[in-house]
Order: sequence, then C-alpha cells, then structure tokens
Amino acid sequence: MGAFLEKQTPVASPVSTLRRRQILAVPVMLLSMTTLAGAWLQEPVAASRAGLVKQYCLGCHNDRAKTANLSMERLDSANVAGDAGSWEKVLRKLKANEMPPVGLPRPSADALKVFTASLESELDRAAAANPNPGRPTIHRLNRTEYSNAIRDLLGLDVKPGANLPADDTGYGFDNIADVLSLSPVLVERYVSVARTVARLAVGNTDVKPVIDSFNGLREVRTGARGQRAGRNDRISEDLPFDSVGGFSFRYTFPVDAEYVFKIKMALINGGFTETAPPVGQVLELRVPVKAGVRHVGLTFMRSDALAEVVPGVGRGGGGGRGAAPANTTHLDLRLDGARLKLYDVPEGQRGREINELSIAGPYNITGPGDSPSRRRLFVCTPAAPKDEDPCASKILATLTRRAFRRPVTGADIKPLFAFYKRGREDASFDQGIEMALRAILVSPEFLFRVERNPAGAAPNKAHRINDFELASRLSFFLWSSIPDDELLTLAEQGKLKDRTVVERQVTRMLADPKSQALVSNFSGQWLLLRNLEQHKPDVERFPEFDESLRRAFRLETELFFDSILRENRPATELLSAKYTFLNERLAEFYGIPGVRGSRFRRVDLTDSMRGGLLGQGSILTVTSYPTRTSVVLRGKWILENLLGAPPPAPPPDVPPLELRRNDKQLSVREAMEQHRVNPICASCHAKMDPIGFALENYNGIGGWRDKENDASIDASGTLPDGSEFRGPAGLAKLLLTKNEDDFVSTLTEKLMTYALGRGLESYDRPALRSIVREASKQNATIPALIHSIVNSPQFQTRRTGQS
Amino acid sequence: MIVTRKSLNRRTFLRGAGAALGLPLLDSMVPAFAATAKSTIRLGFVYVPNGMIPKDWLPQTEGAAFQITPTMRPLEPFRDKMVVLSNLTHVNARALGDGGGDHARAGATWLTGVHCKKTEGSDIRAAVSADQIAAKQLGAQTQFGSLELGIEEPSFAGGCDSGYSCAYTNTLSWRGPTTPNPVEISPRALFERLFGDGETTDFAARLKRMQENISILDYVRTDVARLQPALGTRDKSKLDEYLESIRDIERRIQKAEEQKAKKAPILDRPAGIPDLFEDHVKLMSDLMVIAFQTDMTRVITFMLAREGSNRSFPELGLPEGCHVVTHHQNDATKIAKAQIIEEHRAKVFAHLLKRMDETADGDGTLLDHTLLLYGAGIRDGNTHDHDDLPLAMFGGKSVGVRGGLHLRSKAGTPMTNLLLTMLDKVGVPGDTLGDSTGKLDQLCGL
Repeated sequence: MGAFLEKQTPVASPVSTLRRRQILAVPVMLLSMTTLAGAWLQEPVAASRAGLVKQYCLGCHNDRAKTANLSMERLDSANVAGDAGSWEKVLRKLKANEMPPVGLPRPSADALKVFTASLESELDRAAAANPNPGRPTIHRLNRTEYSNAIRDLLGLDVKPGANLPADDTGYGFDNIADVLSLSPVLVERYVSVARTVARLAVGNTDVKPVIDSFNGLREVRTGARGQRAGRNDRISEDLPFDSVGGFSFRYTFPVDAEYVFKIKMALINGGFTETAPPVGQVLELRVPVKAGVRHVGLTFMRSDALAEVVPGVGRGGGGGRGAAPANTTHLDLRLDGARLKLYDVPEGQRGREINELSIAGPYNITGPGDSPSRRRLFVCTPAAPKDEDPCASKILATLTRRAFRRPVTGADIKPLFAFYKRGREDASFDQGIEMALRAILVSPEFLFRVERNPAGAAPNKAHRINDFELASRLSFFLWSSIPDDELLTLAEQGKLKDRTVVERQVTRMLADPKSQALVSNFSGQWLLLRNLEQHKPDVERFPEFDESLRRAFRLETELFFDSILRENRPATELLSAKYTFLNERLAEFYGIPGVRGSRFRRVDLTDSMRGGLLGQGSILTVTSYPTRTSVVLRGKWILENLLGAPPPAPPPDVPPLELRRNDKQLSVREAMEQHRVNPICASCHAKMDPIGFALENYNGIGGWRDKENDASIDASGTLPDGSEFRGPAGLAKLLLTKNEDDFVSTLTEKLMTYALGRGLESYDRPALRSIVREASKQNATIPALIHSIVNSPQFQTRRTGQS
Repeated sequence: MIVTRKSLNRRTFLRGAGAALGLPLLDSMVPAFAATAKSTIRLGFVYVPNGMIPKDWLPQTEGAAFQITPTMRPLEPFRDKMVVLSNLTHVNARALGDGGGDHARAGATWLTGVHCKKTEGSDIRAAVSADQIAAKQLGAQTQFGSLELGIEEPSFAGGCDSGYSCAYTNTLSWRGPTTPNPVEISPRALFERLFGDGETTDFAARLKRMQENISILDYVRTDVARLQPALGTRDKSKLDEYLESIRDIERRIQKAEEQKAKKAPILDRPAGIPDLFEDHVKLMSDLMVIAFQTDMTRVITFMLAREGSNRSFPELGLPEGCHVVTHHQNDATKIAKAQIIEEHRAKVFAHLLKRMDETADGDGTLLDHTLLLYGAGIRDGNTHDHDDLPLAMFGGKSVGVRGGLHLRSKAGTPMTNLLLTMLDKVGVPGDTLGDSTGKLDQLCGL
C-alpha cells in the first residue's frame, strides 16, 4: 500500500511532501483548522494549467461546442475553488485516463501527472479552508431499518417491515433520505403495523388464532437418467446431523398457549403438474408452547431410528398394498432442537416431500408468558394499584429514550401517558402500555432520524452534530438500526466527542452480530446481490440452476465480503482473494472437488478459474440475461460499481444486436463486433466490451465453459489505452495494478453514500480522497475505510440550512 | 343536520354519532361515495372445473317446465331465481390446430371468448375478460374494482396443460390481454384486504379501533408540530408529506361520516385456509356476501378450483383426483363418482345463494340485485369439448331477469352472447366480446 500513497503524492517538492505528511498526521476533523494558503504555488502552476487547458481541452470544451455539456473557457485556472464542481469533474476524467480521448493529442504523461496532482491538492486545500459537509435531509427509516429497530427496541424479531410498501432507491441504495418519501398508504400501514407489533410485544391475550403456513423448498435436481429427484441434503444448521431435506425456521409464538402443528405431505410427482397434493395426508400435533421466538424444524431422518407409526396415513389412492408399506421414512418435528415427535411415514413410489408445515394458534391461552419482548418492555411490575402509574411512567421513559434515540422530557411522556391511561381504563395495565406503544411507533421521532440545528446556529455553516445524532448515524450505518444502551449512555455522558471512544465503539459495533446488516444491506446493494432474487435464468439453457444454487450464490458473496471485513483484509482482496466460501452444491457447480455437505466453509482456490468477486456466480448471474451472457452488462457493471466510471446511457433507437447472420449463429464476440463498426457505439463499448469478454468463460449463471456453440471462447481483450489482458485472472490483475486507486475510491464512495444516506456531491470529493488516504495507511482495509468515514467531517458535521 | 354537520368538530361528531358511523377508516375500506337510495346491481361468476357429466346436469325439458336434474338438486330451493342455459358454445376453446390443452383453453376462454396463445413462457395472451370490462365501469365507485377469488392454490410451475402456461388455468380474470389477475384463495388474506388488520367485522370493535387510530394520528400531528421549529426547509417539506398523509386519511374519515351505516354481519378473522372444501368455500362465500353487501366491490369471480384440478374428496369417500374420474371412459363407477363431486360443488355453491338470498338489499334481497353465473368451460370432462356448456344464471330480478326457466339457444350460439347480455343488464353495454354474434335474445326479452 506504500506504493498506493506514492502514486497520490503530487509534485515531488520537499515542502509539499512534508506538508502532506502533516496533513495525514493530524486528525481529519482538524483539517479545516490547518490553514493552507499555498499562494507560493499558485502563480506558475496556474499559468501552466491554463496553457494545458487551452492546448488540449478547449478544442471541444469551448462555449460554442460545449461537448459533454462542459465548457472550460470560463474556468479560472488560478482559482479552482471558484468552481470546484467543474474542476472536480475535470479531475475525475483525468484520473480515469478518459481525457483527452484516445486519438487526440495528449500532454506528456509527466505533465498530466503534475497537472492532476496540483489540481487535486488545490481542491483539497480549498475544501479544508471552507468545509462543506453537506446536509442530509430528515431521514425516514426504510423497511429493513424499521424491522431492525423493532427488534432492538422490543426484542421482537418478526420483520414487520415486510408489511410496509417497498422503499424507493437512489444512488443504488434504499436508505437515501431524499427519496424515502411518505404516502397516505404508508402512514396507514404504519398505524396498522404499530398495532400488530404492540399487541405482540405486550402479549395481548385477546388475540385470535391464525394459521401460518411454511412451504418446504422444492429442491430439485436432474438425476442420472434425467428424472428429477428430491435433494438429499441437510439444509439447515438448525437441524440434526443425520437429517435429510426438510427445513427449519424461527417462529414467534405470541403468548403461552396451545398451538397446532400440521404437516401436509405430497407425493413427488413427475409429469402431471396439475395434480394437487392428495388431501388426507396430514399429520397433526397439538402442544402447549411458551411465548417467544423458537426454532421449528421439520426433517426426514437418515437413520432408522424407532419411530411412532402414524395410523391413518396411507398412500393416496387407497387400497392396494397392505398396512405395512414397503418403504417408510421418518419425519422429525422439532421445537428449539428438542424432538416434539418422530413420525413414521410410508413412502410413495417416487418418494415424498413435505408440502407444507403450518402452525395454528394460539388456543387455550394461559397467559402472556415470559417472552423476550415482555422482559424488555416491562422494566417494572406494579405490585399494587398505587404502583401502576409510577411504573407506567418508568416503562414509557425507558422505551421512549430508546425509540427516540435521545434523552426524554416530561413533554415527551405526557401525551404517551394519556394513551396509557386510556388503555388502562379500557382494559388493563398491559393494554395501557400497549396503547402508548402504538403511539410511540408512529411518532415522527421514531420513524425519522431527525438532526436539529444547534440553537442560534448561523445559516449555511458547518457544525458538529450532537452526540445523540452521532450515535444514530453510527448505529444506522453499521447496524441498520437504533443505537443500543451503551451508545446512548456514552452520548448522554458526552463521550462521543472523543475520537478514541468512537473508534472503540465502531470496533465493538463491527464485532456485534447486528453488523451483519452492513454486510447484507451494503454488499447486497453495491454488488446487486438483491437482484439475484428476481433473476430467472432460462430453465432450458440452465437446467442446473435451482433455488439452492440461488441461495448458495448469495451466501458465497456475503460470506466472502464478511470475511474481508471481519478479518481486516485490504479491500483489494475483494478482487484478488484466492479463496472463497462453498458448500457441496456450489463446489460441484464450480467443479471444485472435496467439499461435502450443505455447510459453507472457506475453501482455498488452486487454479485461476475462480477467485475474487469476478469469479462468483452471484455477480456473473445478475450481469447476464436469462438466456445468455452479456459482455456489455458485465463490462458496464465493472465500470460502474468497481471503477466508478459509469458509461453514459446508450443513445435512443439503438437497433437490437444481430445474433444470427446468413442463418448462422454468431458468437458473442462476432455479434459485438457490430459495436466497433459504429463509432458512436465504439466510444463507450471500446471500454465496456473488452472487460466483459474477459469473463466469457463464465456462462449466464457463472458456470465455467471453454466453448460456446462449439467454438472456443476467446477471453482476451484490449482496452483503448492498449493494455491487454486475458481471462478473469488477467482482468483482476489489470484492475489491481492500473486501477487500484479507482477501485478503492469507488468502494469508498459507495460506502460513504450508504453511510450518509445521500448521494455524493462534488464538495464531498475532497473528503472522499482524504478518507481513502487515511485508510490507505492501514492497507485500505474495509474496517479502516469505515473508521475513516466515521472520522470524516462529512460524517461528524453537518451544514445548517439556508436560514 | 346536513348543513350543521360540516361545522361540527370531527371528533365531537364521532363521539356523538356512535354507531351511526358506517365503516372503519384505517381499515382502508371506505367506499369513495355515499350510498344511494337505489340499490346497485352486482355481477358474479362462479367457475366449475373439468365440466359436468352432461346427462346428470342438462334438463331434458325446456322453458318453465324444466326438471331439476341430479346434479342440480342442491340448487332446487332457488329454482325461481335460476335460468338454466344450454347450447352455448366456446368455439375458441377448441384446439383450432393447437393440439391438446383443452383445460387451459377452457379457463382462458370462459370470460374472454378468445383463443389464447399456446405458450408456457411469459408471452401469454388472451383478452380482457367480461368481469374486468364490468369492473372498469362498476368498480370506479367502489373500493375494490373487482375481487378474484379461488379455492385452489395457483400453480407457477411453468406449464400446466400440454404446453400452456399455468396462467390460463389459474384464473378467469384478465385485466389486459397479457395481464391475468391472480386469484386470492386465503380467507384470512381476503379478510385482511377487506377489513384491515382487525380481528372481527363487529362494528363496535371496528369503531373502537378506528377511534384509537384517530387519537394516535392526532398525537402524531402535535408531535410533528413540536419538531418543526428546529428543522430546515427541506426537512419541513418531508414532514409536510407526513401531515398531508394524515390529512388525506382524515378526508376519508369525513367521507365515512357521510356514509350511511351498513351493518356487516359479525365475522371473526379466519385463521387460515380450512382443510375441507366445503368449509373453505363457505367461508369465502360469507366474505363475498359482505363485500357485495357493504358495496366494497360489485364484481367478483370465484373459481371452485383451478381448471384441470385434480383435487380429491376423501370426505366424500373419493380419494382419487377429480380430474382422473372425469376421464371416465364410460366406466359407470367413474361417472357416478364424478357426478357425486359435481353435485357436492353445487351444494356448497348453494350456500352462497342462500346467504345472498337471505340478505336484504334495496327492495329485495342481495341475490335479486346480483347477476350470478355458475358453470364450466368444458361440457364433458371425458371428451373435453366446449359445446353446450353447463351453465346456469341466478338472481337479477332487479334488472328484469325472471327465473324458473331453461333457455335452450340455437346450437352453436357463442357463450360470449350471454356474457354480452349480462354486461348489458348490469349497465355496461357493449357490441362485441370475443367471438360474439349478438345478444341472447330470449334473455333480453325477459
């Protein structure tokens, strides 16, 4: 990483090197205080800069032509701060080596380097002198954050956010304040979901029974002779070791009561898909269950353990064989790992599968129970009627502090107490708390992240956000949820102003399992993993694709990102790592031997066919069409998400690609040649297509192939600047040598967007560069990037409004 | 009262009005209009899969003297409100060169009258169905344009019948030529759609919940007001969205104040899907009656099973699939079994008729103010043909339909002529539908 810093160092003047060291040595927060006039540099540099612009840029970027909507005629080379936005654009194009375009005269590499470096440091200085940390709009919780907030506020893990309408996304993420809007439908849903959640949290015993059904995943795979057979896997870590098939899930039992478990079986049926599962193949068990979240598991047993014979469960169609079936299989129903019942089920001709497991209840409610949510909610229990009101106040104060993420006042509690009173008078103490909770959950202070201007703040000035606001920024960034008690307490003590305290908190938060939210929400959106859920590869072309592969793809990439994060590895390993995470299914698909079973584990890779994100099925699938690969989609994805150089949208009326000519199927490469013929296409595709070609050895779902349509795959490519590469490994190597800075900076940009919940503006770019520089001192690991973001003025400060 | 009510404080009114207030608000079930004195006409279609054994369905005699056949026996109490229709045909459900797939075509053609595209892919194509044509007009005034209900889980396995997409057998209702309407089969989901997240249709309970929600919204409003001063302009505009949403909900509260009380029968939220066919159909029927009665919708399609269904009826002592027995190959035992199932379907359908006919509506019963078609898209499940479809229409007294009749049309008359006539009767006149050649004259004269 030393080399990385070296490259960023501008003109090798001893003074400037020294100055840079100083900058790097002081905390970023203090950057604004180091006054760096730099007037000594300005005159000669400005003159040569103006000369360079005149000679190489104005030919196109003048007032008349205004190519790409940019004229540089009026840009003042001596005062870049005057139009930092435009100069930032110029800087990006130069650093991406996109300007001047290939074929037009260019300054010498050295001159370009000097120009770029001095421009960058001047922009950085200008920003340091007059920082603009931006101003996130008041921020509505998105669905994920809502679910997590309910989980952490009430100890109730029921994902209520799933009942809210989908959130809009912006800048590639669904936590962008500006686009998270409110509609009457949403408010209605908030009111309704709040009621459901409050009843569940309190353990309302008036609740009517419901039946919740869970379908077994139909795992199918083509057998040796083409017929499909059930997959023999233990599919969850929560199931016993000797189990095959089946499934397990977490279920919230609302109160202490009886619940009915009902298992519906289906015969695996080959041909006639209209066949409904025969009715009557139902196993039923009614048992008392204590309130709370419990694991329910249902699976076939591999062993021949003694099983209870279930009377009345015979083969559909009746008659035929006698009472003792030729084949039986054992079905194991478990609750929190303990066996509820082992059934002995006759096997059908082609095997059996679980069609559905349903849980009905509650019946014969015995009480609200001692659920995690009640333990969390009822911090006191009134022993006598006179204790009720003080206890209610205490409960509401505790709850409101967590829900509103700030100290509470009497004015906060008063209206909520009125709700409590109303519910108390109507029904009971518990239902009083339930009423107040319903109000809290639709309060704007719960649903929005509010950042207030400090009293008497001047308009349009940067100010430090208060400790509570910082606690929320941290928790929503790293946990997609509300701050916990430790963070709130530190905020109350005013300790979050201390950088080392914040650093320790970030480390603690990353170690907490709740930071899984960062992995799944950030990587899930940055790497488009979420699109995997909707992707439907063509069954004819990709018969090996099924649900278990889809899940394995996503899990591989999440575990991979997770390991780079948690093992504190350089972000560049996302591209270069020679290991990944596989289970048997995925390893088989990748052609990697020696991986047995459904558990994912780290596997070292020995050849160049896989390695890093570019060899992962998830990404290769979402960047393909259902029927075929797309070098364009893959090239675009890399440019946009890894290199931060998104190609512009294609011009309108682009004719579809010709896939056949003279009745002959064209290879993808032949088809893509059409892009080169047309200069308008070539301007962008000259960069996109070669990158995509490097990945052509992967088919539309990421399987390795050496041939397509009987022709060997040519995975070589040449970029406009002449750099050549071959195959995924060659591409990764090129990205990591020529574009390492771009990659780290793009990842940082995405992380910042996610952290701040807003799109980055040109005024954020100096902070972005500073974050990258800071993190690069620690190998640019993902935790280092996170720490640097948290320490940045963009994260710690905020601009007041216009007035 | 009409004038003063507007000046009344809303909450004062709510407290005073008590039970006079019609419908819950946040249940999202407030129709956007005030009930008119003149009752409305509704339209319903109830579909039977796999045809019916013709000899046990079709009455031999025509006109008012027709005799109730074995399969019709459960419908006898409604003979006076029933018009049996025969000789109506769906030519477009025939193969017409496309080979097998009569189940898929039967479902897709029943209310569209077109020959659907043979495909298992996403390029499905039929046409806008009669219920949706009606819903476009009748539904403009209700909360739900139409409801599409069923009993059997839709299949999404790609193809469901000889190269046809499952979309053709899953539903009857097509919003557009390429957009089938999915069918809701869960009584609980239907209940929640109609009544929100409550546990019962009981009016007092709904009113209480509504009032709680109103006070919560009031609290939100004061809380927003408390926040506002500390915020910048853009933040304020976000919170304005919040306030605007609350106002929007309150506007609907006012609409509800104008609504006359329509007391829905008390029904607790169903827990889930009953196992027995009969229980499931009855529960869905009860919800349909409430939806019609409270004018949440005026158009419903209801499939007693997917077309091509192979559901078995162990409760009738028939563990084999119903599709299998309809392919009876003239085996008398199988024919008898098929007939038992068909009569059973008529029996559970009769529950819907009974409930509709005991529900008062306007100057008669709900059934009088509904035009309800019951029947199949296949004549005989053994031969898979689509001539002389088994069909019977119920209700419609308020629009001049006289029951107690068997109307035999000329052989080969398109069933779409009947659909056009029904649309005409519910006030949605049109000239053509699918392969229609005109209206059903005998029915027009009624």
